Amino acid sequence: MMIKDFQERYAKRHELAKGWKKEGKRIFGYFCGYAPEELIDAAGIIPVRILGSLDKVTLADSHLQSFICAFGRSCLDQGLKGTYDYLDGMVTSKTCDIMRNMPGIWSRNIEIPFVGYIGAPAKRTKAARGCLIEEFKVLRSKLEEFIGKSIDDDSINRSIETYNESRKLLKELYEIRGEDNSPLSGSDFYHVVRAGFVTPKKEYNKMLSSLKRELISSKSSRDGKVRFLVSGSTFEDVNILKMIEEAGGSIVADDLCIGSRYFWDLAEPASDPIRSLADRYQMRIACPCKHPSEERMERVLEEVKKYRVEGVISIVQKYCDTHLFEYPYMKDVLQKNDIPFLYLETEDRMGEEGQFKTRVQAFIEMLR
Amino acid sequence: MSDKKPEKKKRLKTAEKLGKLMADYYTESAMVKAQKKPVAWLSSVAPVEVCYTMDVFPIYPENYGTMCAARKLSAEFCAAAEAKGFSTDLCSYALNNLGSIYLNKGPFMGQGLPEPDLLIATEHACLSMAKWWEELSRHFNVPLYIVDAALPVGEGLSRHHINYFAEQLKELMDFVEEHTGNKFDMDKFKEVLGYSDEASRLFLEIGGLRKTVPSPISPIEIFTNMFPIVTLAGKKEAVEFYNELYDEISELAKRKEAAVPNEKYRLLWDLFPIWYNLNLFKYIEEKGGVVVADVYATTFGGRVDISRPFEGLAERYVGNPLLSYGVQQKTELYKQMIKEYHVDGVVFHSNRSCRMASMGQYDVKQGIYEDLGIPGAIFESDFVDPRSYSDEQVKDVLDSFFEILESRG
Ligand code: SF4
Ligand code: SF4
Repeated sequence: MMIKDFQERYAKRHELAKGWKKEGKRIFGYFCGYAPEELIDAAGIIPVRILGSLDKVTLADSHLQSFICAFGRSCLDQGLKGTYDYLDGMVTSKTCDIMRNMPGIWSRNIEIPFVGYIGAPAKRTKAARGCLIEEFKVLRSKLEEFIGKSIDDDSINRSIETYNESRKLLKELYEIRGEDNSPLSGSDFYHVVRAGFVTPKKEYNKMLSSLKRELISSKSSRDGKVRFLVSGSTFEDVNILKMIEEAGGSIVADDLCIGSRYFWDLAEPASDPIRSLADRYQMRIACPCKHPSEERMERVLEEVKKYRVEGVISIVQKYCDTHLFEYPYMKDVLQKNDIPFLYLETEDRMGEEGQFKTRVQAFIEMLR
Repeated sequence: MSDKKPEKKKRLKTAEKLGKLMADYYTESAMVKAQKKPVAWLSSVAPVEVCYTMDVFPIYPENYGTMCAARKLSAEFCAAAEAKGFSTDLCSYALNNLGSIYLNKGPFMGQGLPEPDLLIATEHACLSMAKWWEELSRHFNVPLYIVDAALPVGEGLSRHHINYFAEQLKELMDFVEEHTGNKFDMDKFKEVLGYSDEASRLFLEIGGLRKTVPSPISPIEIFTNMFPIVTLAGKKEAVEFYNELYDEISELAKRKEAAVPNEKYRLLWDLFPIWYNLNLFKYIEEKGGVVVADVYATTFGGRVDISRPFEGLAERYVGNPLLSYGVQQKTELYKQMIKEYHVDGVVFHSNRSCRMASMGQYDVKQGIYEDLGIPGAIFESDFVDPRSYSDEQVKDVLDSFFEILESRG
């Protein structure tokens, strides 16, 4: 299994999905790493993540103001263009203000038979947990109604196992990436993670296992490269990561939405699988749309230490309120810990590469 | 909601009383520190009733933002926050507030707000609030309580949404007790809720009087008169004030006395006023347009079922349609208001600071037009930060909108 297989997987995602449709399978879309995919999977439906694209936005502009992030804009644009016509439904979870409004706009303009919305609490308290459990129960019964049969605990437990397996493998690969002279680069890893959003997890797990086997026996040189942790919101343009690597950097750890934040936490087995899922989605590494925000920073600091990171690069979507709000805080925390920090604000495909490159090069020069 | 400038001579008799309520509040706010009374900074749609129950003085940085804007200080303050690394694209209520703190300046005798002992914010109005208050908590190094809501956007409220909020209200009482030493008292709580509910009832009824043609109250008057419902919900003074205001406005309505002469087109306004340019309403009025309905003001008034104090108060906040409605529900709500208020057109203020409430406006506009044939206009601006405001562009949008209204006769 090679990185390009993962890349291909992602490139062909719509084609493949249409193929599953022909086989009579149902497919649901979700936006954020807060949709309980296990429940969808247990209903016999394939969950795929809707992500941005680098294509020119043409239709979304008449629905969204100029001040909406490129990610939200691009997702909606693809929907309007019919790219996601194969979806039988979508499940969104309350995260940022853009995601909160998305299902309403989507379903008004794009035909979709099922919309599930989880009003997820933002806090990590017991009361919040209780509420999230209720929200998951509601989703479960809505799904049951939709498929016309019940979803039993066993099938949810089986899905949890499959998903946990995936996460474990991704964590192992994450570790491999962080090793000295690792054969796995940060941009490669991004491709690996991203392919998982659009591949049924059982198959994906096989891909991950075989990649792991191959990587264990190979090495590559990282001599003279500056070790970075990359943090940030979603972004579509993997070239930003490639460019960091080409400029002499090496990405050894991350705090990314399309990265460790998505897969880091496993669901602990419990007698009640809904409770186990609620635990997992509530207590996963918080994206900045959750409260409080200290834990995310603490984890960043831990990763910096563990992987001997020499600098942090933050890549954030313009107009992404929650990430932007936490930027001065992050800068402050890193400064206090003497960790050099570079901040890049992206609008995906806005021709920002040249400008980024100069700044990344200067940053690397400074660190060498 | 607190700017008095645009109207020189007050039409309403109650205006004097409102002026006094505001002056009293700000005088008190200048003295609370000396009196050693605990001060809490609250985000909008945070449960102020908790403060009045627990004898804590509430301060609203957002309300203050509207004042800084009206007194033309917001540009300087926003820039000061940007200098600290906060993006210019963030909410200008927040930038204005943070900037004024960093500069330690404000519209009252040049001073900033009395520093908080406690911070209380919601995250369900928008996520920026939680993040902004987190920053305040780090800056002042004082405890923060975030009231969170599991909002079922577009799905309708269930018991567990109310329960979650209600449980937090209880936690919040404990939090205040712990940090101030003031004790919770159920009777006091019920008394406060009684006043809050009554003020809400009256405020909503006053809004309802705008269904009368011609409208007996102007939009500037409505926004100005929000001060008590936002700041004093739970105080007897708010109830007394709205009783008088109700009497005055309903008298005007009975006599069919127009708040604005030449009411030709009745308009629905979405959502925020431009706080540094309330005169835009005057421009609209010169064209024969009068804003007779809005959801912004109404969302601050929500009824409370006092027999179930915590759940009742939770319902007041979680049930807020602005927060839990998706595009479709919002369209339906507006359609209903258009009928009830005899509205001829809708003006959407796309507020760059507020992605949460502005997102979806194009679809709401479209939906209203498709279903009722009522036209809408959308213009973009920022409600507090005037730095990129283009009066010309806004007026262009409005001018062509009035041409459409005229052509429809
Ligand atoms: S950063 Fe958070 S809100 Fe944004 S897409 Fe990722 S999970 Fe969703
Ligand atoms: S980039 Fe930011 S604003 Fe946009 S969807 Fe993701 S978290 Fe929300």
